Amino acid sequence: MIYMFKRCISAEWMKLRHSRVWIILAVLSLISVFIGFANFRMNSEVLTKGWYSLWSQVGLFYGEFFLPVLIAILCAYVWRLEHLNKNWNMIMTAPVPAACIFAAKLTVVVFLLFFVQAFLVILYLVSGILAGLGFLLPVEFSGWILRGWVASVAIASIQLLLSMRIRSFAAPVGIGLCAVFIGLGMYVARLGMYFPHSLLTTGMGVLSQTGLSSGENLLFTAMCLFYMTACSITAIYLMHRSDVVA
Amino acid sequence: MKLIGIELYKLRRKHLFPMIAIFLAVEIAWAFIVTGRLTARNSEIAGWESIIAMISSMNGLFFPVLSAVCASRICDMEHKGNTRKMLFALSVKPIKLYAAKYACTSLVLFIAALLQVLAITVFGIACNFERSVPLLLLFRFFTGTVITNMIVTVFQQWISMAVRNQAFALTSGMVGGFIGVVADLFPQHIRRVFIWSYYTGLSPVSQLYMDENVRFFVRDTGSLMPVIMVLIAAGIGIYLAGSIHLSKQEV
Repeated sequence: MIYMFKRCISAEWMKLRHSRVWIILAVLSLISVFIGFANFRMNSEVLTKGWYSLWSQVGLFYGEFFLPVLIAILCAYVWRLEHLNKNWNMIMTAPVPAACIFAAKLTVVVFLLFFVQAFLVILYLVSGILAGLGFLLPVEFSGWILRGWVASVAIASIQLLLSMRIRSFAAPVGIGLCAVFIGLGMYVARLGMYFPHSLLTTGMGVLSQTGLSSGENLLFTAMCLFYMTACSITAIYLMHRSDVVA
Repeated sequence: MKLIGIELYKLRRKHLFPMIAIFLAVEIAWAFIVTGRLTARNSEIAGWESIIAMISSMNGLFFPVLSAVCASRICDMEHKGNTRKMLFALSVKPIKLYAAKYACTSLVLFIAALLQVLAITVFGIACNFERSVPLLLLFRFFTGTVITNMIVTVFQQWISMAVRNQAFALTSGMVGGFIGVVADLFPQHIRRVFIWSYYTGLSPVSQLYMDENVRFFVRDTGSLMPVIMVLIAAGIGIYLAGSIHLSKQEV
């Protein structure tokens, strides 16, 4: 099983080899950090809390708008190839379990999102140093990044499920954007812990930079795990039960 | 006309219209909630101007993405099925195919803008705004949205047709949406360069923050005319460049 899973991951990497998807990952992160940084510089008289103020700008643009859409695009892309050229028939007749196929796609997306978060860290540090904020980072910073990544995995599971079922490339991305606004509404209604897109807002400290308590951290992790498991199980079940449309 | 009919026929089972309806519903619901809260806090600003300004600024985010989604769905079906080869073998001229797809996307977005105007009217009547429905203001809002949509679609269609990987078209839509949101923060000469900034740029209502309060002003139509002319000229330029590029591209 593990051997087959490894083979599936290596197949997914091969599919992404000449996709230039890294350009999208880099460009979206760069734009959000650049605009957040520019906004921070232009309003430096009001934004006086140093690294926290910079994060409030960078995190807002990145975590609230760009990252969820980036995840949606990435997930739609990893399924796109299967929707082309009758590849569904090929992938479903391959001698690997359906669970391995889905898990391999999720793993690849999770890896790429890890690099995106790492790239964000670099960009945030560089922009902070350029703004003359020194080297004393907020203590909550590692938590924002780590929780952002965990919430991204939950969103990725949902987007992978949507992109698997919807043959169109654009439709799941559009749904993802609508979900951003629903998530924002849920956060405002203090239900941020129960919707994946508002989990990202909460986890990354996008709108409030105060850290989470240990109870909140536990609930956050449990909800992310719940969404990830539920979506993965549903996707694998659907791959087993419903006929493919090639 | 026949080609436009065929393009619409291809869309019949794509569930494009329900998707647009959901997309618009989220945008409009969000705008109505925000406007409702804003006017509840300050009853002086309650009126048609506030909701038009709010929807215009939200259009800056939503319509570029919606345009990207529609253009991508309409163009991607030719990439997926390798049908451009087949269409050209059936003597369909590339320029005509490009025009039909453009007309089809523009028509879909025209309907979306029309639905928005209807929603604003219903909202205004439901909220008992003091004045009667300002038809001229709504018409100017509708015209500005449709013109900007048409220019943004020109750009999106070019990318969706030229690049098989639709991730790039969607990314450009997202970047455009983002520019549409933050464009008002840029100086005017920089803002004018970005086509996505015209959702607020051509809106008949502008908003300004004065004494920590938001104020709405109705713009003069005459002042926007030169901008509209330049925008349309730019749109024609991008359209011709895209059409010629695609017609000369090896299929």
